[in-house]
Amino acid sequence: MPQSIPPRPSPPHPRADGLAKACGTERYAADLYPPGLVWAGAFRPGVAHARVRAVHTDRAQAVPGVIRVLTAKDVPGTNLQGIVHKDQPVLCEDKVRHAGDPVALVLAESREALVRVLGLITADLEPLPGVFTPEEALKPGAPLIHDGRPQGNILLRAVIAKGRAAQALRRCPVRLTGVFHLPMQDHGFLETQNGVALLTPDGVLEMDVSTQAPFRDRFEIGHALGLSPWNIRIRAPYLGGAFGGKDGATVQCLLGLAAMNVPGRPVKMVWDREECFLAGYKRHPATLRYTLGAEADGRLTALRCRLVYDTGAYAHLGGEVMELGLEHAAGPYRIEHVRLEGLAVYTNNPVAGAMRGFGVAQASFGFEGMMDALARRLDMDPLELRLKNALRPGDVNPAGVRLTSSVGLVECLETVRTHPLWTGRRQWEAQAPPLTRRGVGLAAVFNAMGYGRGLPDMAVAKLELLEDGRFRVYSSVADMGQGNASAYAQLVAQDLNQDAGAVELLQPDTERCHPSGSSSAGRTTYSFGNALLKACTAMRVKLLSRAAMVLMRDELTSLELAPGRVVHPASGRSLALADLGRLLSRDDRVCVAEFLMPVAQDPPKTGTAFPIGFPHLFFSYAAHLARVEVDELTGRIRVADYLAATDGGRVLDPQRFHQQIEGGVAQGLGYALMEEVALDQGRILSDTLSTYLLPTSLDLPDTLSLAVDGCEDTGPRGLKGVGEVGMNGPLPCLAAALASITGQRPDRAPLTPERVLRALNRKPRLRKQA
Amino acid sequence: MNVRLPVTLAELFAALEEPGARVLAGGTDLLVQLRSRAGAHGSQTLVGLERIRELQGITATDGVIRIGAAETHASILENRLARSRLPLLTAALAELGGPAIRNMGTIGGNACTASPAGDSLPPLYALEAEVELASRQGLRRMAISGFIQGPGRTSLERGEILSALLVPQAKGFDLHHFEKVGRRSALAIAVVSLAALIRRDPSGRVLEARLALGSVGPTVLRCPEAENLLTGRRLTLASLKPAAAALRRAVTPIDDVRATAAYRRQVAGNLLLRLAVLA
Repeated sequence: MPQSIPPRPSPPHPRADGLAKACGTERYAADLYPPGLVWAGAFRPGVAHARVRAVHTDRAQAVPGVIRVLTAKDVPGTNLQGIVHKDQPVLCEDKVRHAGDPVALVLAESREALVRVLGLITADLEPLPGVFTPEEALKPGAPLIHDGRPQGNILLRAVIAKGRAAQALRRCPVRLTGVFHLPMQDHGFLETQNGVALLTPDGVLEMDVSTQAPFRDRFEIGHALGLSPWNIRIRAPYLGGAFGGKDGATVQCLLGLAAMNVPGRPVKMVWDREECFLAGYKRHPATLRYTLGAEADGRLTALRCRLVYDTGAYAHLGGEVMELGLEHAAGPYRIEHVRLEGLAVYTNNPVAGAMRGFGVAQASFGFEGMMDALARRLDMDPLELRLKNALRPGDVNPAGVRLTSSVGLVECLETVRTHPLWTGRRQWEAQAPPLTRRGVGLAAVFNAMGYGRGLPDMAVAKLELLEDGRFRVYSSVADMGQGNASAYAQLVAQDLNQDAGAVELLQPDTERCHPSGSSSAGRTTYSFGNALLKACTAMRVKLLSRAAMVLMRDELTSLELAPGRVVHPASGRSLALADLGRLLSRDDRVCVAEFLMPVAQDPPKTGTAFPIGFPHLFFSYAAHLARVEVDELTGRIRVADYLAATDGGRVLDPQRFHQQIEGGVAQGLGYALMEEVALDQGRILSDTLSTYLLPTSLDLPDTLSLAVDGCEDTGPRGLKGVGEVGMNGPLPCLAAALASITGQRPDRAPLTPERVLRALNRKPRLRKQA
Repeated sequence: MNVRLPVTLAELFAALEEPGARVLAGGTDLLVQLRSRAGAHGSQTLVGLERIRELQGITATDGVIRIGAAETHASILENRLARSRLPLLTAALAELGGPAIRNMGTIGGNACTASPAGDSLPPLYALEAEVELASRQGLRRMAISGFIQGPGRTSLERGEILSALLVPQAKGFDLHHFEKVGRRSALAIAVVSLAALIRRDPSGRVLEARLALGSVGPTVLRCPEAENLLTGRRLTLASLKPAAAALRRAVTPIDDVRATAAYRRQVAGNLLLRLAVLA
């Protein structure tokens, strides 16, 4: 979509949410305590797989302060939630499939009463044999998590193929294999899952909820509870973090059910941290098996892999996560022959779903691990090897898509190649202090933007001239902290030449805003921003046209927008926007415009198992570098320096751009170094923040984030989404640094001190073998 | 739940006689324990120590530093006397929890929690500190190693509190070393920790070594065998290795969500090797 692109760089624009959040005055869903509140909470028996014989609520019903105790038979509608696949009961009736499954919902007059009541409910359960790894789940005769599925425990199996991988691999002079294991990761957001709901006298279910997908929530709640989605109103205030973990119903259906049982009274549900671990969605654990074939000069020829994702007890977005992992499984490289096979498999583990780097964070460990192994085998510089194979504009990517979009990987790699952190690495390594070993690692990563083909990535923006001459953006895409709402305000202010303070934001409200999809997939600023710029164009024409009448001008080109005014420079006359605001009727002060993300033309005839979301056309790219010190006595890793060079198209606001990269790198370093949901037979062992470890500021380096000069012509002001790509680099980067120290490629994340120490004590085995 | 905040020891001992009374000395362990048993502590009484003057203050007498039990980790870290006379202890306290925990948690609380992972304990064992216990019957003293009997178990009698730590200054010791291995750099529970005090002659030969290990057994442990192996030797990798092996033999670690016993055992010895590159 051709748009005039202003000269860069854009001046820094203050975050619209900065002051209120810094002062603690921003109201998150968790801050809402309307009068007359009822407290709701779920009873979760904590058994991973069992038949439910009975749920005993008699003692609970007798507690003072209890209002209702509901079970599955009280759920109207299908009692099934889920985004694409509806397989997750709101309250389980006959069976629990993971330790976080709920069987009862309690409504109480106080939080204290709620806690007491929850302690008095018991469930009569008949334990069933469980499966806790995809390997067990795929065995013939394995216990079935869901009955009546012809595919058994397989949620989705898919293949992306191009060329003739098997044949080509046989001919390759260099062949390497590798297996990679990835842990379950928790999102670790600050604001746990919560919301407040009210059934109004006219039968509308209203909900203020910490959600990434307010518009879609209406359908998920409506389907589960037998309500019309048009009688559900969702508001999504700023979220205190989400990272994918609030994409799809968390508290929504339980809260709706609770509200339906106390009409006219607001109901609040807040999961504590333990419940957040127990019942919240997680990043899929995965096992990846790779065979890579290359020429003697390092050119990649063929790649086969099999990626197995453990989706836990319910589908959530397991098939879609596996899809995106598979689409990225061959890396951002030119490879003619690929055969990529993916499986998403049910187990009795906690439910896995969306998380920043959606399937790709896992795959990045695989393809970059293979690239490092190849560089060692060929004794090639790992950066030159990547440059030689990097995708360039116009290439056909491994999934078979011709890249008509912007591709800046080479620029990212060149940025690293000339940086002192890379050019000075040998000297730095040689100066390691006693008992310390140093290594430098590199990773090239990418991440798709948008929903992909088959699912319209649509946004509808509404912009209003207020009566006082300022503007209001009706944001339809939740801001979970990434700053997209600020980007919207900035786009409007800059496009209409207004002061930053002249633009106010309304956070998503399904009654007042227009459906625009979820806050996910790196799409928020791209899709909604594009729609918003179209609305700005319409608004500009509107303002100039209406002002022309007052200013007695017969050509719009003679008029300009200035802060707070429409001006006619030739005469010096002007009209205040505040006057226009009063002049125009409400209907005439509003502009609505939509944008539909382009999709790949001539999509490849592969990946046919994917009903939606394949393939993607737009990707952000990055090259990361880590300088790592390992302590020989303890195996502890210290990340001394970190560099991320990112192609996110043109940068709209440097501060928010770098915040996204630094945040992604921090979360990625947590994934690389320490984060792992420890499980025993489906029960979470690390269900608190003292056992599930997130990195502290002392564990993280100062990340140097550099933006390469790029421009995605279809993007608003040339930008692409960069929310996810930063997440994908740290694990392969640290693994590469570690491999350069120990001579062994790590095959299991996180890279705990214990694993590192074991690797240090083992004899190197990945030295040059050719 | 009731909360009592006595100002004098007499009021304290009276409050401790209430049924279900428990001492709150910062609460960084106790409140976490209580939270995990939500709803089950309606009749509990918490007795806070923070307003009792006798339980505060850091003073030195004849080379022994007396630290009031209710002193917070942060206040000890800020205290010039403690920093200059007890560098081993303050090195450990600097790595305890994070700023918020150090502002609330107390040294007496850390001792009474009696966790083998208590960060103040390896230095207190190496310094051969004593505890002062107070009750209506008066004061008594005992070695920290005798006070702590096992995980969460101490020699405190009913109605008795820990009133002070009496920590001898390690005169003549020229190497004060503390290292904690946690799974991250702050807010971490020790996986293994080592407190080492070394006294050497002018030629660098060890006259006396004291080694205390945390998180590798039911209590912090001293290892006389390793200490004796160092005596008369210079601190080189070659001389440290047999002592490190002795440490590995002496420990009785467990597997948990943070690390395996095997890792703890190996690193318990490895940490001693660090001395080769210090001083």
